[in-house]
Amino acid sequence: MSAILDNLKEWLQDRKQHLDLFDETKTSRLDNPLYTLGGLIWLSWIVVIVSGIFLMVWYVPTTTGAYRSIEHITYDIPLGWLARGMHKYGADMLITCITLRIYRMYFAGEYKKPGELSWMILFASLVLGMISGITGYLLIWNQRAFWAAKTVLTVPTYYDEIPGFGNLGLGRAIAYIFLGGPAVGQATITRFYAIHFGISVLGLILAEVFFYRTRRRRLNLSPFVIALVVVFLGYLSFVRLTDMGRWANPNRTPLPILSDWYFLALYQVVKYMPPLWAGIAPALLIGYGMVVPFLDRTKETRPLERPFFFTVGVLALVYWIGFTALIMLNIAVIGRDPPIIMAITIVVMTLAFLWEIAHRRRKAQMRAATAKAPPAPRLPPGQGGRGGAAATT
Amino acid sequence: MTLGRRKVLKVLTAIPVLGGLVAVLSPLFRYLKPNDGPWQIFTVAPDIPKGGDQVVGKTTALAKPWDFFYFTYVQKFVQYDPTGYKATNIPGVAVRLPHKVKFENLQGYTGYKEETDIALFQRICPHLGCIFNYIPDWREVQSGYGGYTPPEAEKHALMGCPCHLSIYDPSYPGDPGNRISGPAPRGARYFQFEIRGEDIVVVGAELGAIA
Repeated sequence: MSAILDNLKEWLQDRKQHLDLFDETKTSRLDNPLYTLGGLIWLSWIVVIVSGIFLMVWYVPTTTGAYRSIEHITYDIPLGWLARGMHKYGADMLITCITLRIYRMYFAGEYKKPGELSWMILFASLVLGMISGITGYLLIWNQRAFWAAKTVLTVPTYYDEIPGFGNLGLGRAIAYIFLGGPAVGQATITRFYAIHFGISVLGLILAEVFFYRTRRRRLNLSPFVIALVVVFLGYLSFVRLTDMGRWANPNRTPLPILSDWYFLALYQVVKYMPPLWAGIAPALLIGYGMVVPFLDRTKETRPLERPFFFTVGVLALVYWIGFTALIMLNIAVIGRDPPIIMAITIVVMTLAFLWEIAHRRRKAQMRAATAKAPPAPRLPPGQGGRGGAAATT
Repeated sequence: MTLGRRKVLKVLTAIPVLGGLVAVLSPLFRYLKPNDGPWQIFTVAPDIPKGGDQVVGKTTALAKPWDFFYFTYVQKFVQYDPTGYKATNIPGVAVRLPHKVKFENLQGYTGYKEETDIALFQRICPHLGCIFNYIPDWREVQSGYGGYTPPEAEKHALMGCPCHLSIYDPSYPGDPGNRISGPAPRGARYFQFEIRGEDIVVVGAELGAIA
């Protein structure tokens, strides 16, 4: 037991030394825009925090005051539109950059030793970012927000129906703790406000401790890029004033209704699956993300050298884009689509598995062929070969 | 394995540390969910809403088969804030069915004690809690709720949810309001009601929905 603990401690020590939260150790690769993503994550996060503080000055976190206060911020307060726009578009940029960085790390095999912990933290930050997103957009108290909060927090109630465990009440307790009771109301806004604020504040404290201890530079972007991003977000806030939606009406769900863009694919999946599975599937997806560094054990980092994991990544990307497109086009034939999707998944995964086996076999054969080939005869000095070349120069 | 002095001391110190942890966690759970007593962290019994008798409409408004009206039934829900509770509407729909049915669902909940052609459904979708609509013409289900085409026997008024496209049949044999398409795991929840003269009086609501 103590040997396992010692190994774990050693593993953690090693990975902590190689921790890279915002690509701050990859400064030599900044000529590639994909390696500016870490810096852009930090930048957009700070934009969101600062603009969030400005919003807090005017925001009223009550069911009766929230919508009006945000309307007031957007249309009446000088530069209120800018604070709200920077907060909304900064958050969109944050989620976009985290997602792109996840895909970069996945396809470039950066989650492999010693990057496992960095990958896990990045993946967890996407989950936290999405939680921050959903708790944040309830604060507007519009239709989209209200129904998103209600549907998302009805999902845990199905955990009480997991076969074999009986009804422990745990699922409902989770839902009620987040909602502040068995109904969406004032307590829900208060709790969501606390979570929304808490995620960023606690995250920022941890990131600052990390930077203080490692003495690394937080933001490895040129002032020009930083200015460009900030000006672009400001411009976007000006030309595309953030939407208000309609005041939340608990008696009427609009048809059709959409979630925020990064939840759209998941929303489509929830239409297709029984609710218990719709609650378990995202957990499995998060689980897969967390353990993928320990499943993909080869040393190869090039995508085509690890066909199975490459295909899983491509499939996830295709599904994410495909489901998002389907929901935006309002296509969901419940009786027709799920068997087709299941068939595609099974066929693609099987092919990927066979590809992986064939690839490994081919590599093993190549290795065996190289091992069997007789070693080149060692020539005496001065008669060619490396030694000879050195001697002649 | 030898049990050295150090190990014994370590184990002995761990006991109060673990005890302390439990002592801290228990009130923390109750900080988040204050209506649970000590050692009753996952009990949801205190969260059951309260309603009472409420007149929601008249039988005369349901003269012909498939006539319907929407109503709201108000219940007191527990809320973990200084007020302690909130009054919340449970949207409902009353429907005149084309024939008399036993208004009891597969979950064993009885909405009306005798056979009836009036049915009262809660409109909170038993899937994930959106408010579903009563759709007098099934073709509207096909065009607006994901392209579902009901079988011949169900080509009449249906109920459909805008969020995840679950479709319910108010006159489903053996379980009025049962799901006929979509991801919902069960049929629509019922109201328990009585008919007093011309008044339709709701006296209770099936539990389980997040309002």
